[in-house]
Amino acid sequence: MVPVVSDDRRTHGTRLAVMQYTAAGLIALLAVGFWILQVPQHERYDEMAENNHLRSVPLRAPRGVLFDRTGKVLVENRYSFNISIVREQSHDVDASITLLARITGVDAAAMRDEVRRRRKEPSFRPIVLIEDATLAQVAAVAARRLELPGVIVQQVPTRRYPSNELAAHLFGYVGEVTEGQLGRPEFHDLQAGAVVGQSGVEEAFNGLLMGTDGTRFVKVNSLGREIDEVRKQDAVEGRRLELTIDYDLQRAAEEAFHASGYAGAAVFMDPRDGEVLALVSLPAYDPNAFAVGIDRASWNALNTDKLNPLQDRAIQGRYSPGSTFKIAMAVAALEEGVVTPDFKVNCRGGAVFYGRYFKCWLAGGHGAVDMRRAIEESCNTYFYTLGSMLSIDQIHKWAVRLGLGEKTGISLPHENEGLVPSSEWKLKTTGEKWYPGETISVAIGQGQVAVTPISMAVMMSTVANGGTLYRPRLLKAVDNGHGWEPVPPEPPRLVTHLKPETVQALHDGLWMVVNGRGTGGRARIPGEDVAGKTGTAQVISIQGRARAGQTDKDLRDHGWFVFFAPRDHPEIAGVVFAEHAEHGYLAAPIAKYVMETYFAKRDGRPLPHFQAPGATVVAAAGDEDVIRH
Amino acid sequence: MFERRLYFHLDWALLVAILLLCGLGVAMIYSTTYDITREVAGPQVKTQLYALVLGLVALAICLSIDYRVLADHSLLLYASLALALVYVLFFGDVRGGSRRWIGLGGFNLQPSEFARIGVAIVLAAFFAENRRGARTMGDLALSGALAVVPLVLIAREPDLGTAATLVPVWFGIAFLAGLRLRLVATLVLVGALAAPIAWTYALEDYQRSRLSTFLDPQEDARGAGYQQIQARITVGSGGLTGKGFMQGTQGQYKFLPVAHNDFIFSVLAEELGFMGVLVALGLYLFVIVRSFEAARLAKDRLGAYLVVGLVSGFAFQVIYNITMSAGLAPVKGLTLPLMSYGGSSLIATLAGFGLILNVRMRRFTN
Repeated sequence: MVPVVSDDRRTHGTRLAVMQYTAAGLIALLAVGFWILQVPQHERYDEMAENNHLRSVPLRAPRGVLFDRTGKVLVENRYSFNISIVREQSHDVDASITLLARITGVDAAAMRDEVRRRRKEPSFRPIVLIEDATLAQVAAVAARRLELPGVIVQQVPTRRYPSNELAAHLFGYVGEVTEGQLGRPEFHDLQAGAVVGQSGVEEAFNGLLMGTDGTRFVKVNSLGREIDEVRKQDAVEGRRLELTIDYDLQRAAEEAFHASGYAGAAVFMDPRDGEVLALVSLPAYDPNAFAVGIDRASWNALNTDKLNPLQDRAIQGRYSPGSTFKIAMAVAALEEGVVTPDFKVNCRGGAVFYGRYFKCWLAGGHGAVDMRRAIEESCNTYFYTLGSMLSIDQIHKWAVRLGLGEKTGISLPHENEGLVPSSEWKLKTTGEKWYPGETISVAIGQGQVAVTPISMAVMMSTVANGGTLYRPRLLKAVDNGHGWEPVPPEPPRLVTHLKPETVQALHDGLWMVVNGRGTGGRARIPGEDVAGKTGTAQVISIQGRARAGQTDKDLRDHGWFVFFAPRDHPEIAGVVFAEHAEHGYLAAPIAKYVMETYFAKRDGRPLPHFQAPGATVVAAAGDEDVIRH
Repeated sequence: MFERRLYFHLDWALLVAILLLCGLGVAMIYSTTYDITREVAGPQVKTQLYALVLGLVALAICLSIDYRVLADHSLLLYASLALALVYVLFFGDVRGGSRRWIGLGGFNLQPSEFARIGVAIVLAAFFAENRRGARTMGDLALSGALAVVPLVLIAREPDLGTAATLVPVWFGIAFLAGLRLRLVATLVLVGALAAPIAWTYALEDYQRSRLSTFLDPQEDARGAGYQQIQARITVGSGGLTGKGFMQGTQGQYKFLPVAHNDFIFSVLAEELGFMGVLVALGLYLFVIVRSFEAARLAKDRLGAYLVVGLVSGFAFQVIYNITMSAGLAPVKGLTLPLMSYGGSSLIATLAGFGLILNVRMRRFTN
């Protein structure tokens, strides 16, 4: 062994000390480094760590359930599965979509489009790729979880319309909030992908129905796989709403329409308070298809359908009222005092006004008729005469007071207004003054007069209750979370005290239409004193028809039936509009069936069954009350 | 060979500190590998405990054979080491793109982990027999060559991190043996000049990207910079007192890769906080300083050189790994001795401490 020399010994000790102190110094430096990271900079890194592993997962609130006035569920929710992708957690979105397409059979291009469309959204927000996935698709995704990082299955409440197409236009449908809607103040706190009402009641009461989305705060690992739930803020279900609708009446109306083979619209109201009992527009669509995001093909099919199933005919369709307008004429003439109910006109099958001959529909004439009889037999000559005695502005005034020519204000979106001409209107639109000769056509509901079915229902309601114009009501009660709270009745839009003799004459005349020699016999219900009036809305004039020649458009006339019952204490009033039914009296059985259902329900009797009227049932009087010019 | 009185000269304090660090390591491995979904400890814990037992056996063996006997056979040991490394290069098991392992039935041996011991012994013997110490260029060159052979072999696996730990082993011994400071300065200068050349020719692409990422981790936050950013978040989020044992989020939810291995100290910092860091750093400091003490007390130069070689490699690896685990150094596949998961590393480290204890224990023997 070589002994350590003294010189070496000194260097040796020094160098060992150098190494020792270097190591100690470096470790001290490390301690300082850790201190800086862990104490002064702790909060910053703590936040970054939280962002790493905490995620907020939105919980979609179920929309409020809709009930009818008897407590029957009209619209509810079910849970469906959405398959979504969280780009932040996906290593390769494209590859994931390719695999997803292969195992679920869904078109990859559509999924890629969706991702592209949403590319500007934060990458942690899930993008729904497959809506309302089948159980097989969910199982396929679950089985390949590890190959599909960032692909998640979400359970979401989805709107369910148990009666499918029933009252589709009334209920409306839901859909994802659009880019344009997001800019509106009422949607300011929504995020893309939120589901809002896009039509009907769903849109009108969206604020009440939406509820508040909740959030789950979860821990995730580096693959984005959920580990644990930290905190949960439950979603608050939207308000439950009780509508004024009566399911049985709605169903009866649609059943009768289907059995009769007509498209069209119908509105049934309670004339005592303006509550809407049923609101029909046919053909309809299935709102369930919208609830899960309607596909482009179905949407295009609905949009290009010649029958226009997306249009709510009840509030948007504008049609010529035909003879039903004679009701407004009668009110105008009686209330303006130009005639009394006893005023008589001798109908010889037509008369000359302003140098032109106007025909009555009954070639031989009705002879001498008073107001009641004129209504019963729908005598054109009588109403031409009234038209010659009234100014267009007087007619306009009373038609508006009955609810025509303006929006009814029903709380459904996109209502159209009808048109009752006035001299002011003509001056404004054509720059010309109104010629009294034009009033004659208006007197029998032709010319420029146009009405929506809902406004006709309001008119009948107003006539039935003696002049109180109600805004049609749909909302009966709201569940505010602690129980049902009735929606207080609102004051009528307008109260006109019609003269008792006006009301009496109208009620009598309209009663005679159904129970006498008039055209409404098919609506007669023994013991219930149904009052009503038929009308025919020309689709095209005779000349026009000749000009049109052979077209594939359906040019047959529309049939109206307006009504209320019982005559002396009306409880139900409304309108049935049967598209291309050609005759108003063919719409009457539909109204009759709904009223029968109403009375049976009121009296606790079993509900009736619809019987399509056979050919043997013939109108009591002439069946043609339309004049073609 | 093992005399009873030697038992009284055993450095129990050092041994206890080492065992405490091993225990801390096993605890952190337990925490990071715990299977949350099945609620069972990861299989790594058992493996590590086995390795700990084997390591203590290796420590006892290294302790019982007089280090001078080992030095007498240093060339034989060195040759077998080189042979094993060559064997690995050709027949070793490949994992993660590196050929580092020799399959030995139940477990895999990583010869490179033992290289430090072999190199320390051969260099200690070399300088101890050389009266002149490390004063001539010739001696330096020869000793350097002894270190470079295994270094190159390991670097070819490739395992640059482990290869690099041989440099401090050589440097520590040479420095103690009287390496001239002027020469040290020259070496540093040459190294600085050679760096750009090494950058261009010697480094692999992944090594270059790791280095450039270190300089700007955000540049590649999802790729190479990810580990570094996550390491800093892990450490920083621990705070003063930590998130609690097994309560960490970065390690538990695998935001930090190989948390039980290269980044075990980050997890310790996360779960036990700065307090835990101080305890662990204190233990390491104690182990290192105490080991240098063994060199100071060594009976002969051979013992001193051997201890300094081993402790230099150990200290370098500890300091580098901890710096890296705080995201303050480029990410390199370098484990934390005594704590990181890894059987070969633990066994080799404990064997090395066996030798250090050996030298101190035999300071009075002839």
